[in-house]
Amino acid sequence: MRWSRAWTVAVKDMRETFSTMQLVAPLVVVPIVVVVGYPTVFLLALRLTPGSVEGLQGFLGGFPDSAVPAFALATSAARAAYVAVVYLFAGFFLLVPVMVSTVVAANSFAGEKERRTLEGLLYTPVSDAELVVGKISAAFVPTIVFTWGCFAVYSAIVALLGVPVVGRVFFPTANWWALMLLLVPAVSLLVISIVVLVSAKARGFQEANAIGGSVILPVIGLVAAQASGLMVLSTGLVAGTALVFALADVALLYLIVSVFKRSRIVSFLP
Amino acid sequence: MTDKGLEGDGPAIDVRGLSKSFGPLTALDSVDLTIPRGAVFGLLGPNGAGKTTTVRILNGVLDPTSVTKIDVLGHDLRREAEAVRPQVGVQTDTNLYERLSARENLSAFGRLYGMDTPSSRSRADELLEMFGLTDRGAERVERFSKGMKQKLLIARALVAHPRLVYLDEPTAGLDPEASHELMTYITRVSREAHTTFFITSHRLDEMEGVCTAVAVLDDGRIRASGPPEQVAREAVPRVRVRVTPRVGSDMTAGDLTTLPGVKEILSLDGAFAVDLVREDAVPSFLRAVVALPFDLLGVAEEPPTLQEAYLALVGNHPARADGQVV
Ligand SMILES: Nc1ncnc2c1ncn2[C@@H]1O[C@H](COP(=O)(O)OP(=O)(O)OP(=O)(O)O)[C@@H](O)[C@H]1O
Ligand SMILES: [Mg+2]
Repeated sequence: MRWSRAWTVAVKDMRETFSTMQLVAPLVVVPIVVVVGYPTVFLLALRLTPGSVEGLQGFLGGFPDSAVPAFALATSAARAAYVAVVYLFAGFFLLVPVMVSTVVAANSFAGEKERRTLEGLLYTPVSDAELVVGKISAAFVPTIVFTWGCFAVYSAIVALLGVPVVGRVFFPTANWWALMLLLVPAVSLLVISIVVLVSAKARGFQEANAIGGSVILPVIGLVAAQASGLMVLSTGLVAGTALVFALADVALLYLIVSVFKRSRIVSFLP
Repeated sequence: MTDKGLEGDGPAIDVRGLSKSFGPLTALDSVDLTIPRGAVFGLLGPNGAGKTTTVRILNGVLDPTSVTKIDVLGHDLRREAEAVRPQVGVQTDTNLYERLSARENLSAFGRLYGMDTPSSRSRADELLEMFGLTDRGAERVERFSKGMKQKLLIARALVAHPRLVYLDEPTAGLDPEASHELMTYITRVSREAHTTFFITSHRLDEMEGVCTAVAVLDDGRIRASGPPEQVAREAVPRVRVRVTPRVGSDMTAGDLTTLPGVKEILSLDGAFAVDLVREDAVPSFLRAVVALPFDLLGVAEEPPTLQEAYLALVGNHPARADGQVV
């Protein structure tokens, strides 16, 4: 395993993937709406019409006061802002990397097969393992960079619009660091591994994307839906969940690297 | 570079008993090939003969169904493919990265072959220059014409100064000048750097000029192999002499039919192609022609062409019953 060789494969793939807006635009637009749009509107509404909190009580009341620090319990608007920023929107930050990595990974594996460029790569001295690792990195790196970018933007919005409502700097919290640094990478890697496995048999990008998505989304949807609860319970639990995913990652990656043989792929090439 | 090509003296490729089946279809049937280093080898055969399958197997990208020996550049491909790949360049009917520039397509492959970034870039520029694509180097490949893409695919195979180059129908889509230049390049590099070329093609006229050895593959079987002239002579067992009378001479085919050893006469444009019964009939025929009361411009043996040999070898199948997909 020569890492530089794997990285070369990754760089080539990433250049190809991001050289066209066709693939990138939908990937970027939806997350930006979700990660920038929703919190901006929510926090602005809280600032401008604090009374609107009452309407959300049923929604936000489900979160126990014990999950909110004392300083954020001062006003109902502060409480609402804290609960939304720290718990409510957390799930989105799992859906963003899932979306991005599914599309990018399907493009890099199934797409390359479909465009008939993969065979050329198989003749080079890149080893089977380097090829897989390179291609997985080509999906993993942009996913993480983009998700962290979203996180940075979200943090800025919170600092700008949420801090005045709550009355002090309160974000990012420890559980968010666990979410970003542990759970997001672990989940992304799992998604990518599944797409890689699906791509081996899929005829093309669309098929891999569709099958991959239909396998992945229900599972991740469930996790994302539980994310708020997970975040409420404890940082340790977030880290623990990440660990479970990481173990699944190791198992799947091991499976992929040991199954992936170039002489098997060509039989499936068009 | 030159001495590097000479190290190791076994054949570049030595294959025995290579067979490959796809389900019920036998794509290759006990193929034997021995290709010396520095040779320009042509694998000739019709669509679906198994040429691309052979190239894929010889690169360890497809597993054979059975094989008794498969040595490439002195390494057993089954165990040491990693030692072989860095020394080999391959062009097959695959695609380039359409969204990358021509230069990036080449330099990315250079890096995959372990070159550092500066040397992969300068090698890319060198190859663009060689294939007349320098002024289009920065452009995305998706805007290239078919022939330009083909040139780039060939250039990509040459990126890492390989000692063995596979070209799978390299002249498909190339204009005659480009084909000619490629053939000249192949001849030069095989002589100067002792690079071995493995070329598949249907363009027999081109292959005849450039190949030092050929094999005719049909239906997964080698029908003939050897130097092109030898293959041609063995496949086309005829003895033909071309008799060219002086312009204005009133020689007719009838004047030749009665000469000793003549089997058949074809009137060509101002000349006659005379088929004789046997090779040992040639001397007495020649003496008789010269003795005729006509002025001659020339009398020459006309060896069979590779084209004729090829047609004789692969043409004699009635309609394919197995409905092969090409
Ligand atoms: N992956 C595959 N699965 C099933 N059959 C295959 C596969 N690859 C090749 N074949 C079959 O093997 C035979 C030989 O194919 P191959 O591509 O080697 O022919 P070829 O000589 O390169 O033809 P062409 O001149 O058209 O390129 C054909 O009948 C083809 O249909
Ligand atoms: Mg072919």
